[in-house]
Amino acid sequence: MYLSKRKLSTEFVKRAAFVSTIFLIVIFTGFFVAFWSIQVVNHEKYLQLAIQNITRVVGLPAPRGMVFDRSGALLAENKINFTLYLVRENVGNLEKTIARASFFSGKTIADIRKIIETYQKYASFYRIPIKSNLPRGTVIFIQSRQDEFPEFEIGMEPSRTYPLADRAAHVLGYISEITEDELNAGAPGAYGLGDFVGRSGVEKQYENFLQGLKGSQTVIKNNVEKIQHINSEIKPEIGDSVFLTLDLKLQEFVENLMGSENGVVGVLDLASGGVLALVSKPAFDPEVFSQEMAPEEWQAISNDPQKPLQNKFLQGIYSPGSVFKIIMALAGLQEKLITPATTVHCTGSQVFYDRVFHCWKPGGHGTVNLFTALENSCNIYFYNLGKKMDIDTIARYARLMGLGAPSGIDLPNENRGLIPGSAWKLNTFHQRWFPGETISVAIGHGSMNVTPAQLLKMIATVALRGRMPRLHVLQRIERGGKTIKEFVPEFYRVPIAEENFERVIEGLFRVVNGEGTGRAARIPGLDICGKTGTGQILAKDNPRYKTLTQEKRFMPNSWFVSFAPRQNPKLAVVVLVENGGDAGAIAAPLAAQIYKKYLENERLF
Amino acid sequence: MRDYFKYFDKLTFFLLLLLPVIGIFLIYSAGHSTQETNYLKQAAWLLFSILAFFMVFSMKIDFIFRKAFAVYLGLIILLALQIVMGVTVARTKSWFRFWGIGLQFSEFVKVPLALFLAKTLTQFERIDGRIFFKLIAIIVIPVALIILQPDMGVSFIICAFIPLLILLKKVKPAVLIVSVLLVASSGFIGWHSVLKPYQKGRIISFLNPAAYKSSTGYHIIQSKIAIGSGGLNGKGYLQGSQSKYQFLPARHTDFIVSVIGEEFGFINTSILFFIFFFIFYRQFRFNFQNDEEFYFVYLFNGLILFQFMVNVAMAIGFFPVLGISLPFVSYGGSSLLSFFIGEAIIFRIKINNYLA
Repeated sequence: MYLSKRKLSTEFVKRAAFVSTIFLIVIFTGFFVAFWSIQVVNHEKYLQLAIQNITRVVGLPAPRGMVFDRSGALLAENKINFTLYLVRENVGNLEKTIARASFFSGKTIADIRKIIETYQKYASFYRIPIKSNLPRGTVIFIQSRQDEFPEFEIGMEPSRTYPLADRAAHVLGYISEITEDELNAGAPGAYGLGDFVGRSGVEKQYENFLQGLKGSQTVIKNNVEKIQHINSEIKPEIGDSVFLTLDLKLQEFVENLMGSENGVVGVLDLASGGVLALVSKPAFDPEVFSQEMAPEEWQAISNDPQKPLQNKFLQGIYSPGSVFKIIMALAGLQEKLITPATTVHCTGSQVFYDRVFHCWKPGGHGTVNLFTALENSCNIYFYNLGKKMDIDTIARYARLMGLGAPSGIDLPNENRGLIPGSAWKLNTFHQRWFPGETISVAIGHGSMNVTPAQLLKMIATVALRGRMPRLHVLQRIERGGKTIKEFVPEFYRVPIAEENFERVIEGLFRVVNGEGTGRAARIPGLDICGKTGTGQILAKDNPRYKTLTQEKRFMPNSWFVSFAPRQNPKLAVVVLVENGGDAGAIAAPLAAQIYKKYLENERLF
Repeated sequence: MRDYFKYFDKLTFFLLLLLPVIGIFLIYSAGHSTQETNYLKQAAWLLFSILAFFMVFSMKIDFIFRKAFAVYLGLIILLALQIVMGVTVARTKSWFRFWGIGLQFSEFVKVPLALFLAKTLTQFERIDGRIFFKLIAIIVIPVALIILQPDMGVSFIICAFIPLLILLKKVKPAVLIVSVLLVASSGFIGWHSVLKPYQKGRIISFLNPAAYKSSTGYHIIQSKIAIGSGGLNGKGYLQGSQSKYQFLPARHTDFIVSVIGEEFGFINTSILFFIFFFIFYRQFRFNFQNDEEFYFVYLFNGLILFQFMVNVAMAIGFFPVLGISLPFVSYGGSSLLSFFIGEAIIFRIKINNYLA
C-alpha cells in the first residue's frame, strides 16, 4: 500500500488552526499568570532575596583602648595580627593545599586536616582560620603570589599586645575570644563571634570603655563570596584610654625586688587611695590569651599549682596572723577593756579554759603593756585581751576595719575572706561558739581569712587615724583626648576614736624603731610604723610541726603591713611572702627597700 | 519577483529577526561581568543564519522533501562518528570543532527529521502497530545517538515528535495503550540505567528546590529570584544583580529568560512572550497545498513551541532543569541556524500557497 501526498480539506486545516490557537492561548495565558505571580505579586520577597544574595555586612573590629600608668607610660596597646584563612571552595588540589597550609603555618599535615574537618559543616565559602599571628615574611610571600594560592586569604585584625610582657599582669588582666555559649547566654548586641572580651583585671573592669565601637562594612559580593566593592562603611572607633594610678618605675622596682619569691606586694598612695604598685607572683604574660592558644597551653597555665593567673592581692586568702593584733588593740581600747597602762605578765604560756596557750617566745616577755605587747607581738597579752571580749565584738571591729568584705578596689573577682563569729559557726557547723576559740582568734589564728588588699586598706585606715580610703587603680579615662571619667578619692570615717589610733600607732612605731619584730625595716630618717605577722600553714600542735616546716611549702607565710611617715603619712605597704618563714627577717626588709626607694627619689611617686 | 516580495510574510520575518537581536543583547548582558564575547559569535551566527534562510527559501519544496532522508541519514552517520571521536565540551561530546567553529550536530537533526516524518506520515491512513514502530524507529535512532553524546536537552526535545505524531494522525487505540506503556517503561529504564547522577539530581531537585539549595535546586531558586526581583519594570539593562554577580547559572543559554525577567521586568518579558505567541499564531494558520506540508509545519512549529514551553517552565521552576535553550534567543549558533532553516521552509510553503 503506497499512498502519496494529498490535498487537505479546508475543514481539517481550519480545525487544526483552531485547536492550535486555543492551545497557544492556554499556554501563554498560563505563563502570563505565572510571571505575574512571580514578578508582580511576589516581587518584594524575591527582591529581598536578591539583595540578600549580594550583600554581606562585615564587622570591623574596634581597636581596644590603650592602658597607661599614672604618668602616661604605655602598658597595653594593639598590633596588627595577620591570620591565614582557607576557603574550601577555592581549593584546586586538596593535598597540595594541605601541604601548603602546613608549610605556611608550621603546623603538621594532620593538624591541618583536623582544622579543615572541624569546619566541615560550615557554610560554603567560610573562611577557615588556619593560623593567626602569621609572620610578616609569610604574609608578604602569600600576598605576592595570591594568583597561585587562590584558596588562601590573609586577614588583618587588631590584636592586643602588652609591650612589657608580664609586668603588672594582674592589674591589667587579659582578654580572650568570646565563646559561643557566652554569646548565646548574653543579650544580643555589642558582641559577635570572634570578638575579644576582658577576662580579668582592668581589661575586665573597664571593658565597656576599652572595647571601643565596632564599625561595619556593607559589601557587594558575587556568588562565590568574592567581594566586588564596598557599598558603605562605618569606621570603628578605638576604645578609651585608661590611665592607672600605678607607677611603672615603682612597679618594676618591686617586681624585681620580689625575685623568685611567691607572694604579694601592694603600695598605696595614702593621699588618694590609689595603688602605686601591685605585684602578685608568680605572674603570667597576658598576651598569650589574645592569640591563638593551644588547649594544652591553656591547661598548663590554668592547672599550674602556683596559680599564676590568680591575683593574690585580692583573690588569695591567708591567715592574718599577728597582724590581727592591731585590730584587737583598737577594739580593746575603744571598748575600754584596756588602757595603755594595762599590763600583763608573760611567762611564755598561760592556761585558758583548761588548755595551755603559748607565746611565740619560749621564755616569755615578762611584764608587757599595750606598746610593748605590739612591739614584741606578745601573744599572752592578746590572749588575755581576747578573753575579755566575746567573738562577735571582735568580728564587729574586724568588719569596721574592712575585713570579711571585699575591699572595694576597682578590680574584678575579689575574695571577701572570712571573719568567724557565733552566727557563722552556727550556720556552718551547727554548733555554738566556744569561748576557748576566741583565744586563738585574738592572735589572728583559727578560721579567719583575709586578702592582702584588705590588710592594706586596714593599715591605711590606721595610718590615716580612722579615715578609710577607697582603694582604686583607675586614675582617669580619656576619650579623644578629653577626660570622661576621673577617680575622686573617697574616705569613710571609721567609728573608732582618733586617740586610740594614736596609741596603736605608737606600738607600731616601736615595732620598727624599737627592739620589735619589724626592726629589719628600720631606715634612718624615716618614721616607719608596721606590724609583722606569721600566717601558719600547719597548726602549731601538729606533732611533726618541727620537721615539716623545714620544707618550704609548709613554712608559714610572712606578713608585714606598714606605713610611713608616722606624721602626715604618705605611703602604706603590704608585703606577703608565701612560705617566707620569719616575717621580721623576710617581709619587713622588703618593705624597707620600698621606703628607701621612696626616700631616694620622692618624685618617683 | 515582485510577487515574492508582496506575499512574503514580512511582519513575521521581522519578529523572527527581532528575537535573536534581543537575544544578542541579553547574551551581552549575561557575559558582561565575566568579559565573554559570546554575543559577537552569536551575531556572526545570526548573519550566517539569515543567509542560510534565504538559500533554503529559494529551494523548491519538492527538492527539500526529496533530500530530507539523505540529510537525515548523513546526520546519523555524523553523530555516530562524533561519539567515536568527539570533542568533549563541558562533560558532553555534542560539540564538534570544525575550522574553529563549534558545531552541535544534534541541533541539525530537528529539520530533516521533521521533514522525513512528515513525508512518512503521508504514506498511510492510520497509525497501526507496524507503522508506529517504524515512526518510533525513525525518531529513536537519532535520539539514542544524541543521548550517547550525551545531550539530554536536545534528545528530550526531539522526543516531542512522538506525541505530535499521535495528535496529527488517526491512531489505533491499541497503539495508544502500547505507547503509554512504552513511555512508562522507557522512563523507568532511562532513570535507572541511562541517566547520570547529575542529570537525576537536576530532575529531583526541581520537585523540591529548597532541599537542594547548594546543588541543582540552586539553579531554580536563583532563576526565580532573578525573575521575581525584576518586578514590573526590571532593574535596567546590565543592572541585574543576579546576572551581574553570577548567581544565575547558564545565563546566556538555559536561563536567558531569567536575564530578561530581571533586567527588563514583567512588562517587557510579556512583550517577548507576545512576539513568540504572534509568530506561532501566524505560522500555524494558513492553507496548505498538501498534507506533507501540513505535517511538517505542525511538527516543526510544535517542536519549537514545546522547546519554548519547557525552557520557560524551567526558568520558573515548573519543569526540571534539562539544558534546554530558548529558541531563537539563547546563545547557540547551531540551534539558531537549524531553526532558521526550518522557518525558511515554512515561509516557502506559505508563499507557495499564495502564489499558487
